[in-house]
Amino acid sequence: MGALSLKNLTIHYGRQPVVADFDLDIRDGEMVSLLGPSGAGKTTILKVVAGLLAPTRGAILIDGQAVTDLPPEKRDAVMIFQKPLLFPFMNVQQNIAFGLKMRGDSGDRRARAVAHILALTRLDGLGRRKVHELSGGQQQRVALARALVLEPAILLMDEPLSNLDANLRQEMRELILGIQSELGITTLFVTHDQAEALMMSQRVALLLEGRLRQVGSPRELYHRPADPDVARFFGGDNFIQGRMRDGVFETDFGPFPVEAVSGNGHRRTATIRPEDIQLVTDTGDQPDHLPGTVKRTRFEGMATRAWVSCPSGELVVLTPRSGLSAGQAVQLRLPPEKIRIFPD
Amino acid sequence: MRALGTRLLAPAILVAVGLPFATLGVWSLAERWFFPDLWPQAWGLRAWRYVFATAGGQVAAALVQSVAVATATSLVSVVVALPAARALGLYDFRGKDTISVLLTLPVIVPPLSVAMGLHLWFIRLGLAETFVGVVAVHLTFCLPYAVFVLWGVFSNYNPDFESQARSLGASQLRVWRQVMLPMVMPGLIVAGLFAFLLSWSQYLSTLIIGGGRLTTLPVLLFALMGSGDRPVAAAVSIVFVLPAFVALLFSARHLGGQSLAGVR
Amino acid sequence: MADPDAGRDARTRRAAGRGSLAVMLLPALMAVVGLFGGGLFLGILQGLGHLPGAGLSRLSATHFSRVWSDPDFLTSFGLTLYIAAVSTLVAAVISVVAALALSRLVNRYRAVHFVFQVPLTVPHLVIAVAVLFMISPAGLLARVAAAAGLIQAPADFPLLVNDRWSIGIILTYVWKEIPFITLMLLAVLQNAGRELLDVGRTLKADAWQRFRHIVLPTIFPALGAASLIVFAYTFGAFEVPYLLGRTYPMTLPVWAYKHYSDIDLLARPEGIATGILIAGMVAAAVVTAQALTRAARKKGIVL
Ligand SMILES: Nc1ncnc2c1ncn2[C@@H]1O[C@H](COP(=O)(O)OP(=O)(O)O)[C@@H](O)[C@H]1O
Ligand SMILES: [Mg+2]
Repeated sequence: MGALSLKNLTIHYGRQPVVADFDLDIRDGEMVSLLGPSGAGKTTILKVVAGLLAPTRGAILIDGQAVTDLPPEKRDAVMIFQKPLLFPFMNVQQNIAFGLKMRGDSGDRRARAVAHILALTRLDGLGRRKVHELSGGQQQRVALARALVLEPAILLMDEPLSNLDANLRQEMRELILGIQSELGITTLFVTHDQAEALMMSQRVALLLEGRLRQVGSPRELYHRPADPDVARFFGGDNFIQGRMRDGVFETDFGPFPVEAVSGNGHRRTATIRPEDIQLVTDTGDQPDHLPGTVKRTRFEGMATRAWVSCPSGELVVLTPRSGLSAGQAVQLRLPPEKIRIFPD
Repeated sequence: MRALGTRLLAPAILVAVGLPFATLGVWSLAERWFFPDLWPQAWGLRAWRYVFATAGGQVAAALVQSVAVATATSLVSVVVALPAARALGLYDFRGKDTISVLLTLPVIVPPLSVAMGLHLWFIRLGLAETFVGVVAVHLTFCLPYAVFVLWGVFSNYNPDFESQARSLGASQLRVWRQVMLPMVMPGLIVAGLFAFLLSWSQYLSTLIIGGGRLTTLPVLLFALMGSGDRPVAAAVSIVFVLPAFVALLFSARHLGGQSLAGVR
Repeated sequence: MADPDAGRDARTRRAAGRGSLAVMLLPALMAVVGLFGGGLFLGILQGLGHLPGAGLSRLSATHFSRVWSDPDFLTSFGLTLYIAAVSTLVAAVISVVAALALSRLVNRYRAVHFVFQVPLTVPHLVIAVAVLFMISPAGLLARVAAAAGLIQAPADFPLLVNDRWSIGIILTYVWKEIPFITLMLLAVLQNAGRELLDVGRTLKADAWQRFRHIVLPTIFPALGAASLIVFAYTFGAFEVPYLLGRTYPMTLPVWAYKHYSDIDLLARPEGIATGILIAGMVAAAVVTAQALTRAARKKGIVL
């Protein structure tokens, strides 16, 4: 009912380039998270897809049909904004029925559709409430209902949960996931919260400074970042320089055997996630362990983060071990299978 | 089509706003300007000489009188309105709606109704034909206006700043002087300007209470219009709008372009 | 922008002592009740025939009923209502269009915004004088008409001041009040309008629907309030109709002042009574308009 395809979008504000060469395909019924830090250009892309902003270059296709030149009211895509932006002069059901009324649906049909959507978004009984009498979570649900009731081919959500407190956010995530899978609406879900992106969708697109850096499953982005920037965005702090030689990645931290033998003789950068480094406090040298000294530690609940100084450089380690203290001598093991060597 | 309309809008506004002043300006410099000429037959500074010199500085005296009345009205309005607006903007209490209505009435009820009622009472109090009396009657509508402007300011004012300053060791008096006052200052200036301009353009209430003894600029201008000397009337009119322009320029420069929306 | 909720939080948390609230409010309330309320009260007393020295025993509605039954009163009332209603309506309609056009323009051209503020600060009297110079029979417009060969003498020019339709008065008011209403609307449009319009577009509202269902309801409270203020002002103002109006019929404020300042001292209470009637009518108009709006809103009627 609605496959969305963004081709080569380049967007400027005035002369200022904001998004460059953005490509993304979303299958019919799929939900994709567009993830990126604040200011990356996420809202800008959504506005372009919705038609509120014209791209400098590129095309937007819904089910293979170019809609790039259609005004927003002619596009089968509805956007939900970061703020609920409910019409303050209408009550809840008037807000929800707005799009239907604009479309010219009869009062009867509107009432039925609104009743159905109120139940779906768990707003039963609130139809006649004034907008300012609702809590933040309820307001955002009304905004969701107001978009869903139109049964659009494409749903665009711009950080709809960012104004809610943590508990409510979790509840709203479940609600959105449930409704999305029930209705099968093709959805582009924008967020700046990496954890949220990873749990909301099968595929995540990471946007940094207006450029699409990686698209893939949450696991791929987390464990196989495409480049150091992506790794850094997901909290990877350890970067290791080295050289490829005969199936071995040679570094100051020791040689790491690699499976794919390629790029012989080339300098490469690799990363290893802090939680993948094994830390032992036993003394007694072990052949594949690096000696080091704990510089400082920080308790983070489930684990402790330790900054460990090794002869060849500093590494950040996330370990379930407790009782570490500064100055303590430790040994680190970097499992070769956890080393991610970036392509050139 | 739309682009053309938009492009024409700015010049259209400029002409519509500028034309009356251009007309007054040319008239004030006309020595002789008979129908049907589009341009004066003779130019001259007679009207301006009259404004600055003749008639014993009549215009200068009226200007001083007007400035004095409007300044006094504006200052009293702001000083009295400030605490009231703070109470209305920051706290919820019973009777607030009643007070709101009470303050709305003087804004909409024409001053002449009030001035006629007050006149007799002022005569008995010895306030008729006095400076204080005229300021008092101007206060009836300038003060509520100032309260409304400052009420809006205090609705957007966060008193937590004051608590913060108190917890950092400032005394209540210092908090008012060094935290509240700077924060509401732009609003205070706008309120003062409103009150000044309202008082500045008052004619009838000044005439009724001032009884012709207190000749402010509008009172003088009315008298001149009766005499039919157009160049002089035009020149006095220009003198009459000058402070308004100064106020506008001042607000544009010092209030960060905060608009005077709401001024009447 | 200060967070509007910031003050609200503090407001609900904080309870000022009754005493300190009273101290803050009292000076302003005393001034308003004493001067404004006192003026109206004394006006009513004098309208009821009270004279200084005489007690309150001889109060009667004679002056009011004399005013009321004067056939000229109704004519004056009609004229006043006509001027106020037409001025307000014309200014309001033009202001809506101007605000919409300017909301696109203002960000780019601050100068336009500035120029638009000029009329706000100019006294009505000055504009009345300028309008007189422009459209009187020997005024600028008549001279342009003569130059174009349309008229030969001032007498050929249609009467636009001191005229039957009060063109000059209405023109003055419209010139003065358009910026007042427009800037009130612009403030609203700029704060809330733009984002809501984007929402409307994505919810499939076309240009007319966005105007009808989003713009109008958004600006309606401000438009209503501004129009009421304009109506009240134009209904009760003296200078402009005195200068640009006919000698007969007069508007109510001019009529009231004529009586009040009559050498025949017996006419004075009638002038005061008329002033009170004007005040009553303006207040009644405002109260009615507000009650109607509130009732409509309670019924869930949007706009
Ligand atoms: N109306 C605008 N005019 C100019 N620049 C803008 C405008 N809106 C956003 N930007 C800039 O474009 C960039 C991307 O903004 P946005 O799409 O809102 O980011 P995000 O939604 O990812 O936080 C930012 O650098 C922002 O400052
Ligand atoms: Mg954003």
